Amino acid sequence: MKPRFCLLIFLSGISLCLGSYTRAHTWAAPPPAYFQSGNSGTEFSGDRSSPSEDEVLIPGPLRSFLRMAGISQQVSPEEVLPLLARNVVLHGYQSGRPTEFLILLSRYVRQAEELATLAGDGGMIRISNCDDVKPLLRILGYRVRQNCGQSSTSLVTADPQRAFSTIDSGFPLSELEEALQRGGPFTYSFAASPVPVLFNQRDWTTENKKSGAPAEDFLDTILRNPTLARLYWALSRMDPGSRAELARNLGLRKLLPFAAVLDMYGGQICVQSGRVVVPGGKRAESDWKDLVGASPDSPAEFVLELLKKDHGWLAAYFDALSHANQTQQEHFSEAHRLKRFYEGFRSPGVSGDAASRLVFRQAPALLLLVTRLSWDPTGEPHVPGNLQTWGEILRQRADGKVVRGWGKRSSGWQHPDQLVEAMFALSRVETELGPLQADVFLCELDSRRSPGERLSPQTVLLLADKFSEFSDQYLIFSEFSDLTDASIARFLGLAESLGKIPNHTLRGNAMGLFQANVGLWQILARQGQIANTDLDNSWREVIEPFAKISSAAQLFDAGRNSLGQLLRFATGKSNASQDAIIDLLAGPHQTSLEGQRMHQEVASKIRSVLDGQRLVSLDTLLALGEGLQELTRGIDVSASLAAAAGELREFEMPRPIFTGSERTRWAEGTYNNRHTELQMRTDLAKLVKSPRSRAELEAARGQLAPFLRDTLVGLNYAYYEPPGAQALHHNPLFVRSHDFSGETVMGIERLWQAPQVFGAGYPAGGGAHLVGSLADLAYVLSEVEEDFLAPQSVQALIWKQLVPTLLTDATVPRWWDVSRNELHAVALYQRAGEELLADSADNQELYNKVMPILSDRMMPQNLTRLEQALRQRQLDEVFAQLVPADTFYLAAEFRQRFPSDAASWGPAGKELESLSRLYPAEVSWERLSRDFGVPHAVLAQSYARELLNVKPFPALAGNGSRLMAESWDSSNLYWARLADELDYAPVTLNWLVPELTRRMVEKIFATDLEDWPAILRAMRETGEEFRQGKIPLLPTKEATSQP
Amino acid sequence: MSTTRAFLYCYFSLGLFFFSGTRTVAQQIPERHIRIVVDMVQLNVAVTDSKGNYVIGLHPSDFAITEDRIPQKIATFEEGNEPAQRVADTAPPDNQPLAASADQQDQRLSAADLSMLVAGANVLVLFDTSNYMYRGFVFAQDAIADFIRSLENADKVAFYSYSRDLSRVAPLTSDRSRVLRGVRATVAGDDAALYNCLLLAVKDAAQYPGRKVVVVFSNGPDNASVVPPEDVAELAESTGTAIYMVSTAEAQLEPISTAVFERMTAATGGKAYFARTWKDEKQAFASIRDDLEHLYSLSYYPRPNPNRGWRTIKVKLVGQQFQKYHVRTRDGYRPQPSRFSSESASASLPGPGTK
Repeated sequence: MKPRFCLLIFLSGISLCLGSYTRAHTWAAPPPAYFQSGNSGTEFSGDRSSPSEDEVLIPGPLRSFLRMAGISQQVSPEEVLPLLARNVVLHGYQSGRPTEFLILLSRYVRQAEELATLAGDGGMIRISNCDDVKPLLRILGYRVRQNCGQSSTSLVTADPQRAFSTIDSGFPLSELEEALQRGGPFTYSFAASPVPVLFNQRDWTTENKKSGAPAEDFLDTILRNPTLARLYWALSRMDPGSRAELARNLGLRKLLPFAAVLDMYGGQICVQSGRVVVPGGKRAESDWKDLVGASPDSPAEFVLELLKKDHGWLAAYFDALSHANQTQQEHFSEAHRLKRFYEGFRSPGVSGDAASRLVFRQAPALLLLVTRLSWDPTGEPHVPGNLQTWGEILRQRADGKVVRGWGKRSSGWQHPDQLVEAMFALSRVETELGPLQADVFLCELDSRRSPGERLSPQTVLLLADKFSEFSDQYLIFSEFSDLTDASIARFLGLAESLGKIPNHTLRGNAMGLFQANVGLWQILARQGQIANTDLDNSWREVIEPFAKISSAAQLFDAGRNSLGQLLRFATGKSNASQDAIIDLLAGPHQTSLEGQRMHQEVASKIRSVLDGQRLVSLDTLLALGEGLQELTRGIDVSASLAAAAGELREFEMPRPIFTGSERTRWAEGTYNNRHTELQMRTDLAKLVKSPRSRAELEAARGQLAPFLRDTLVGLNYAYYEPPGAQALHHNPLFVRSHDFSGETVMGIERLWQAPQVFGAGYPAGGGAHLVGSLADLAYVLSEVEEDFLAPQSVQALIWKQLVPTLLTDATVPRWWDVSRNELHAVALYQRAGEELLADSADNQELYNKVMPILSDRMMPQNLTRLEQALRQRQLDEVFAQLVPADTFYLAAEFRQRFPSDAASWGPAGKELESLSRLYPAEVSWERLSRDFGVPHAVLAQSYARELLNVKPFPALAGNGSRLMAESWDSSNLYWARLADELDYAPVTLNWLVPELTRRMVEKIFATDLEDWPAILRAMRETGEEFRQGKIPLLPTKEATSQP
Repeated sequence: MSTTRAFLYCYFSLGLFFFSGTRTVAQQIPERHIRIVVDMVQLNVAVTDSKGNYVIGLHPSDFAITEDRIPQKIATFEEGNEPAQRVADTAPPDNQPLAASADQQDQRLSAADLSMLVAGANVLVLFDTSNYMYRGFVFAQDAIADFIRSLENADKVAFYSYSRDLSRVAPLTSDRSRVLRGVRATVAGDDAALYNCLLLAVKDAAQYPGRKVVVVFSNGPDNASVVPPEDVAELAESTGTAIYMVSTAEAQLEPISTAVFERMTAATGGKAYFARTWKDEKQAFASIRDDLEHLYSLSYYPRPNPNRGWRTIKVKLVGQQFQKYHVRTRDGYRPQPSRFSSESASASLPGPGTK
């Protein structure tokens, strides 16, 4: 949601609306109960008496209130007050003072009250003619210009504060104006809108009074008491039974001091049958009793102690473990690990550092650790390398007391649990590149390898040692587990040596060229165009030419040879034209007509980006390189070379708007196009026409290296073009400006990590560009391009934390080798899951099988809502609760857990069974996960496409925000089902998925970061439009915007 | 490919530049076709005297157009909102490569097409709703509403708002009420990505034939765009879209915005206006309206031009008596190479049932 709280950026300097919550921003202390809300009008004191205690009357239309409160128009009435409470907590106060958001909202409430009074008992504003409009206009803050009743009659601002509320709340001012022009009547319904309240109004207002605040009604209470608002928001996210239990047995008063802890870590607390459901289940109850100091059998006492204990850290631990699936929880509950690991977790200290101090939850890595920790068949935690290796890793790190402390303790380690205990402790350390993150990554990497090919201790040591510098490069290692230890080590060795090339220009070009070819290898390997048996060999052959680079000519030769090796493994020949390479990148050769058309579309998109970037053709560059060598050999090809060399000089900088001195003044440190300017000074034509020495010819060949770098990097950019991209097409410096060596930015480190975006928002800076490596390029390009998508609702936002991941999920996967059976299976899995769920409404036995499966994916509150809907046979409501990945997972897991339970399957389930018998490989989970899954660069530390079954992650700080986005993997499953049901060939997904995803993103109308229902709505609306033929089947051709 | 546009294709075969006498280079540089797509070039030309008054009543023969110093032949001519008149054969010059293909002949313009091409202006209004506009938001809204009311009926208007993202509030329409409702539906807040959103607006405007202008109401600063104003200006020039910027003295306090506003508008044939406050924009509106009503619209098909880069356009008045007048129009365009295969671009995707 865009409006109100984005004003905070302007007015308070806090970057909240972009979702880049700063760690420095701490929760405000409870502010004074009253605040001065602007200077117009009196304190609100209208009568908002409600027909019942469990409803609150919002003055005026709900739509207007939602606009002002920063809440999506698409929410249900039940969601209004929780989201209002949330926005008050998150955006309403800064250092104890009300923000502009809250002031405007309060001002609107007062204005709405006045309008409600004008509307009278009937709730209808009626203006019969020009004479009686004045009272309305006074409230609205407008006046009539020109005489009433004329076509020139118009309304203009009289009181800017009131006018702002009028406009921002969406009052139909134009309609009023038109009525005045006609001299006719104007009517507008301004009836109050009832919305349900948790428990009843009096519970909250009474509590407000007890806290010393003046007596006000419910709405005032929420607006003016952020602590109470936080408790409201926290309780609203618990399942109804559990929160009722707490309210009944504890009361709001006892919970109020722990509102923040409950808000951050209370969503998983679930009371069932008079006991708290604890991670690990019944057999873990006694450990939890010891940890908490109260029995789960006494829910009120247990929850209160849980929230109190260690300033909320135990609640954080409880919540993280609750996120893990049941299998993980079982592992953690064995051998009293729960207690041991908690000791580790609390060991950095728990006093004076409340777990709920900041905006985001603390120890975000803990969630990753408990969700993704892998276990050996023996039931022990998996240890990449061995314990001694990890002891060494910890001892080598000198960064911080906690790490050093565990390094000392590691010498006596005998059991993997000791390492995990240390990792729990390290989850408290604020870093994204520490030993814990290395451990999680290495577990992922190792678990993707066969038992006989686990990482050696030396490789583990190497990877951990280089983790802070190269961790984003490791994504490729986990995507291709066939790469041997030696190949991994060789890559790191070469990268390090390239990074040490003394000449800055050569170093940047070398790093870029090297990564560009590795990136192309990654694409071709992922698309299956390099045989699995050749993966390791081809990797080595592609990187090896960069072993010795000391001159630009060597670099050009290395780039060319490396590309030749890549082509050899992909096509059998080491030469190919640029067009052929583009065709190769566009995907494997297609035999069907539609396959060929789709392939051509993808290739055209790549060419379009290269055109937009005005990059020199590979054909020209390679031919020039060859021609220069011919000249060295004494063969006179100067005439032809001169013509080709002319192409190098064709690039023109965009026509400048700023002078050089203006750029220096207004974009110092941002505008730096040295790389391009050097290229523009390259004049090979002159050189080849005149007599030249061998050394000059060698140098000339070296001058081709930066061009070669740009074109190969450009191919990577073009391949990962996100839907709706514009910079790639209209900023011709974008690829050329990629700074691989940190030349343009002072003090930047870790150049082998994912690139950062620089230059955005500096008009004189020449546009945004990337600084860093090519790792995670798909995601970073999506970050750059996301704001070119235009939300359909004027209030909606492109959510920075979410949208790049959605776009990446539509960009990286391709569907060239997907069979019709696979596509159909994806649809059947989803339908079969729905059938199971629907049938479970009347079948207790089935219900008992289905719900535990879903509990691995759903939060207790959602699960409870689902159960209620099932009990009431409201199947539409049931399916509205579920994302496609839920039903897909339900069917897949049910098949695995209950293979002989054929009787439970509905028609789709039976068809799935029969399809599975005929085509077991195509219908297997592994195959579908590979073909319809998405990359999880943060959650699973890999660009490999797969379906992960995890509960939705909460919003976390920093890179952790991607965890939340990556826990959504429903889109492609849904698009695939749609394609199957509409009888599209699988290969059309290559066009459908990016296009539908773009439209879906533009439809997202979310209130907050974690508004999954908004994403689900947007996806389904897009699908429905597609079904109805409202989305053109033809690809939208780039507007031929010529003069 | 739009049927209302005539495309000329200039194929430049780089392979021709290489002699075939040696075995190496000619074999390794495959013949490469880069297609330059060039539409009929349309120019909006304002002619004013030394006092800034519009000069009317000029004839096609009073204008001389050169592109990279190559004289061009005017194809169509229109003054203000008068009907367009065909001046020369609309077909490209005879010596244009591939111009006479059957494919191209089919795309010659009919009289109706021609009229549509150069009829009344399409005005796309872009309103800054970022935090920078917060304090003047309601006054700016009033001003935009006034501007939209003041446009002649023949013009179609679209209304977009922007902050960090673009919102296409009202698509191009002749229904003023719809546009005005859109104006009043905007909400304020968020970062400002003026150049990102202006780029999108120019791209949208470019899809429409005839005169098109983008009128930007902005307080100036941009703190979120990833494309620089240069790229937007080039696109606007290349698509024949004039940009007008309406702002307040507040923007002039920020030199970057002032520089961009003045230079970008000048390059595209538009103008920048800085009123004292948003309440004081009447003169700007009148001026823009005057411009729209008094612009000459000229078009030509470029003669063969090997330049694949920026092509400079000069429009001059012929005759000594006119030399005292000032001519304002865009100063060039960049033809975009297109390596799209025409088969691909026009191919329909497989529909349902194609297995």
